[in-house]
Amino acid sequence: MSSSRRSRSRQSGVPRITDDQLAHLVSKLQHLIPELRRSRSDKVAASKVLQETCDYIRSLRREVDDLSDRLSELLASTDMDSEQAAIMRSLLM
Amino acid sequence: MDSLVPLPELEPSPDISPEFRRKKRRKTEEKPAYYHRTQGNQRMNRWRTGREQQIYSSKLIEALRRHSPRTSSSANGNDVRNTAYRVLAVSAKGTTRWSRAILISRLSAKVRKHKKAKVSANRKSRKPASNREKRKLPAVERKLMALGRLVPGCRKISFSTLLEETSDYIAALEMQVRAMTAITEFLAVANDGGAMPPADRLGSNVNS
Repeated sequence: MSSSRRSRSRQSGVPRITDDQLAHLVSKLQHLIPELRRSRSDKVAASKVLQETCDYIRSLRREVDDLSDRLSELLASTDMDSEQAAIMRSLLM
Repeated sequence: MDSLVPLPELEPSPDISPEFRRKKRRKTEEKPAYYHRTQGNQRMNRWRTGREQQIYSSKLIEALRRHSPRTSSSANGNDVRNTAYRVLAVSAKGTTRWSRAILISRLSAKVRKHKKAKVSANRKSRKPASNREKRKLPAVERKLMALGRLVPGCRKISFSTLLEETSDYIAALEMQVRAMTAITEFLAVANDGGAMPPADRLGSNVNS
């Protein structure tokens, strides 16, 4: 199995990865993803962890997009002068 | 504030030619895994502190205020998003690839407006070989590449670096979501109220 991975990774600039490296990467990523933290099982498939990581990043970015849209709408209707900005900052502290 | 943990430089043996020594030094430029582990965790955890979120919120509010003056037409979703990512990348203080990549891509976006044709030609030649070949990579490697594409500036880096960048990027994104949510909720309440709350109530809130 590792030999086929070795020959195929010659193309497209994908660096070689050993099984150990992959296991290490996967276990670290598992702790970052809320979905996988909840399941608490140690044996999650590498491809699933990677898929969840990608999905999680995409969902976070989508949230930022949605929040940006909402913020822009709210900003359009409030006239945020420096006094309001200072007050908002102090309230957020 | 982060103290650097220096690693001892390996002394090259004296009978190696200077050219080879130079090449070897270039190879060790990518920092070893030990360095990453101590620095990376510290850096990543700072995104989880309340202080970092306050700093980010403050900078973001200031940047949004400056970008959308009386004329509200300039404040659209894209502008807000770009500002949010720019402030986030600046907050990283150049310590991560993804943050540097975001700032660099904003610079090149301005250049791209004048050099559209040239850049699109470059883009085409950068397509990975796997797209042209019909053979598919195994699922794990495909997803690793997908992850490398999702994190800015991380398409062709080592896996330990990709892990570190991903951790930091996710932590930063989570903070960004928390900060922007708080700001949005605040503005929504302020809008509904019609005006900012009276000064004396604000005073009591701040002091509590």
